[in-house]
Amino acid sequence: MLEVTDLVVRYGRATALDGVSLELAPGEMVALVGPNGAGKSTLVDTLSGIVAPAAGRVVLRGRLAQVPEGRQLFAELSVADNLALGAWRSGRGRAGRDPARVFEVLPDLRPLAGRLAGTLSGGEQQMVAVGRALMADPDILAVDELSLGLAPRVVADLARHLRELNAERDTTVLLIEQNARLAFDLCRRAYVLESGRITASGPCVQLAESPQVARAYFGGTTEGAGDPVPGGARDP
Amino acid sequence: MSAFLTYLITGLALGCSFALVASGFVAIHRVTGVVNFAQGTFAVVAGLMAGSLLGRGLPHGLAEILAILLAGAVGLVVGVIAIGKRGTPPLASLVITLGLGILAYAVEIIIWGDQPISFQMVPGSVDIAGAPILRQYLVVIAVALVTFAGLGLFFGRSYLGKALTACASNPYAARLAGINVMRMGLLAFALGGLLGGLAGVLVTPLQPVAFDSDVALATNGFAAAIFGGLNRPGLALVGGLVLGVAEAFVAGYLSGSYQTEVALALMLAIMIWRASRRVSVAEEPA
Amino acid sequence: MNAPRMVGFVLGGLVAVAALLAPLVLSGSQLTIYVLLGTAAMVTVGVSLLMGYAGQVSLGQAAFYAIGGYTAGLMGVHGLPTVAGLVCAPLVAGLLAALVGIPIMRLRGHYLAFATLAFQLILLSVVGQLEVLGGDIGLQGIPRLGIGSAQLSNTQSYAWLTWAATALVLLIARNVITSRAGRGLRALATSEIAAESSGVPVARYKLAVFALSAAFAGLAGGIYAFFLGYIAPGSFPVLLSFEFVVMAVVGGLGTIWGPVVGAAVITVLVQVLNSLGTEPGMPPYASSVFSYAVYALLLVLTLLFLPRGLLPTATEWVRRALRGREPPAAGDRPAAAVPTGDASGSPAR
Ligand SMILES: Nc1ncnc2c1ncn2[C@@H]1O[C@H](COP(=O)(O)OP(=O)(O)O)[C@@H](O)[C@H]1O
Ligand SMILES: [Mg+2]
Repeated sequence: MLEVTDLVVRYGRATALDGVSLELAPGEMVALVGPNGAGKSTLVDTLSGIVAPAAGRVVLRGRLAQVPEGRQLFAELSVADNLALGAWRSGRGRAGRDPARVFEVLPDLRPLAGRLAGTLSGGEQQMVAVGRALMADPDILAVDELSLGLAPRVVADLARHLRELNAERDTTVLLIEQNARLAFDLCRRAYVLESGRITASGPCVQLAESPQVARAYFGGTTEGAGDPVPGGARDP
Repeated sequence: MSAFLTYLITGLALGCSFALVASGFVAIHRVTGVVNFAQGTFAVVAGLMAGSLLGRGLPHGLAEILAILLAGAVGLVVGVIAIGKRGTPPLASLVITLGLGILAYAVEIIIWGDQPISFQMVPGSVDIAGAPILRQYLVVIAVALVTFAGLGLFFGRSYLGKALTACASNPYAARLAGINVMRMGLLAFALGGLLGGLAGVLVTPLQPVAFDSDVALATNGFAAAIFGGLNRPGLALVGGLVLGVAEAFVAGYLSGSYQTEVALALMLAIMIWRASRRVSVAEEPA
Repeated sequence: MNAPRMVGFVLGGLVAVAALLAPLVLSGSQLTIYVLLGTAAMVTVGVSLLMGYAGQVSLGQAAFYAIGGYTAGLMGVHGLPTVAGLVCAPLVAGLLAALVGIPIMRLRGHYLAFATLAFQLILLSVVGQLEVLGGDIGLQGIPRLGIGSAQLSNTQSYAWLTWAATALVLLIARNVITSRAGRGLRALATSEIAAESSGVPVARYKLAVFALSAAFAGLAGGIYAFFLGYIAPGSFPVLLSFEFVVMAVVGGLGTIWGPVVGAAVITVLVQVLNSLGTEPGMPPYASSVFSYAVYALLLVLTLLFLPRGLLPTATEWVRRALRGREPPAAGDRPAAAVPTGDASGSPAR
């Protein structure tokens, strides 16, 4: 479904990704964890085609849509318009822009359709961002920092939707998280990205037991103390 | 009473012409975030071009349309230079459009000379409730209303209009959605050129236009556009009307020489009032 | 002091000495150009400080040039000591800028640019209607600068006066830039929030730079008024304000010598083209076409291809040449010519 080989991405002189390889099989739900500045967002931006790689290969079978970090809604447009614009690339005309199919998956969006996106709460915005990405009818959904700044209940709700999507619609999901516990709960397999390199990968159960990963991601180094995410920081 | 009506209608027409210039500012700023200081140039180019085409015997209608299309093309060229190079910050783009406005002086003088020109479109006047009103004013009002209705529908209802709006609202997200932000920006500049050109051909019969008329045109247009924060066509129309009526009354009842100060002072007051209402942090790009 | 800085220091000294000696050999009309170049450089230093250090674009700097000119001219015409006029010119300009700046400096980016432009347009049209200021005809018969009966009568002495004033302006600018406040200002140009949160009193600094830049323009305006003996609203068109911005951007923003380089390059180029344009056989409009084209092309090309301006780019070349092929350290990269601040507040990615 997705195959990344020896990917190198540079911003000017700085190297953000340094020989990253990873692979996603159809229908998989895979986590990508790593600290701030590791290059996670750079990786998804490269997959989305808006950052050009300096070297390496990306093979993508199907359409990828991204739920960007920080939601990035069109604040001055309505929720309905935000959703409609998610279908811009598909070029399927008026029918393609109809958000009804997204309302089926995310029914909570329906009553918000007429609101301005900028006036929504963080959780609602994240839901719109997911909905907008779904409007592109993606085969792969890349979600960048799902839990960022959201209350635990809201995160749990969003996580449930992602799991449903993956299970019922067979959408492949790449979940990027700093909250490794949440990611490992949701996914079976994970990659650990640090300073632009994959430093560990494998089944989540295994990774969670590796002392190195445990120390880094379950030992309280999560960015932003008091992160209100379930199972976030916990003292060792 | 009839003087009052004359001033009012004159002011409304004047305001409509400001609003037409303003609409170009809005079209470009709403999509690219750039304040286009060459906006007055589009109007000047179209006015001069229409004048010389009519002088060569082209019929009305055709001459004006060709002139407006030329302004659209000029808008596109300005856009290519101002935003065509990736990574040009908006403020640099602003200064570039300023430079292009000056460059246009050189070109315009070579082509059309440095004397103001004018032409007639719909001569004569009609009586409205006893007040004589130039027909040209009525044309300006009618065209402005139609244009703004069209713009409102375009930006507010059409899919393309929403995609254009999305570009300035969040360029990153727009690119993620597959919108070609650069192409949309150029489209906006071309649209801004057409709107500026439309303003130019309508205004030239009322006040002769020379190569350096752009500052006055742009200042009034910007003053109107700022009313809607440079993003809302409807408010720009309101802004233009308020400004035009204010100027006409000042000119009529006080003195014609205070006209510009009133408009500019009004604009400054609005800008400062808006700035003081907003939390400064909200304006800063993250 | 490292080698490149030493080179810069020596070069600056040489330029200063050469400029000091130049009036001895220049002809009458060349001296006039010298004076105009110097006054333009003084104004441009202020514009450059404002744009490069406070991140603000002023499109109305000629307004303060005019205020300085009218202050000096009015005092001179009414028989007050001309030296007092020259001292008051920058003071009045700076003071007025501080007053106007209190509301105006709250605006950002595009809005501030337009507000300064509007301020100048209003000022010009008010001046044009005030009888005391000579209306549209302007102030005539401004006396020559002097103390008691000793007058600066020849062009040469105005050239030296200009030299001294420019040197003063450059010294002040240098002190501002290298001071603690200067570093705070630098932070301001890149991000106001960051500057604010690190304890820089943003609003006060912005206002101070605005007033200082206006004072520079006022000083230049005062010299201009005494030098020509005649000023009118038409002497300070909006285009003049644009020209100062062009000079600042072309020379390199936020540098001390950049504005001087910008003013020199553009003034000389415009003069050369001007004499070319007035040659027999040229159409009557040639010289104005040339000067518009020079301003425009230099501005646009610099912004697109040398966004840091002539001087910083040249310095970088020299530095590279001196250091061999060793790449410059990431830290000593000067900021882009035009601050990236954006009034519309579009959420940057
Ligand atoms: N647009 C950019 N320009 C320059 N450097 C960038 C840009 N975006 C990200 N970087 C740098 O690339 C590195 C990786 O950033 P990012 O992909 O955002 O990390 P993450 O998402 O893992 O927090 C960081 O060092 C960051 O500073
Ligand atoms: Mg990230």
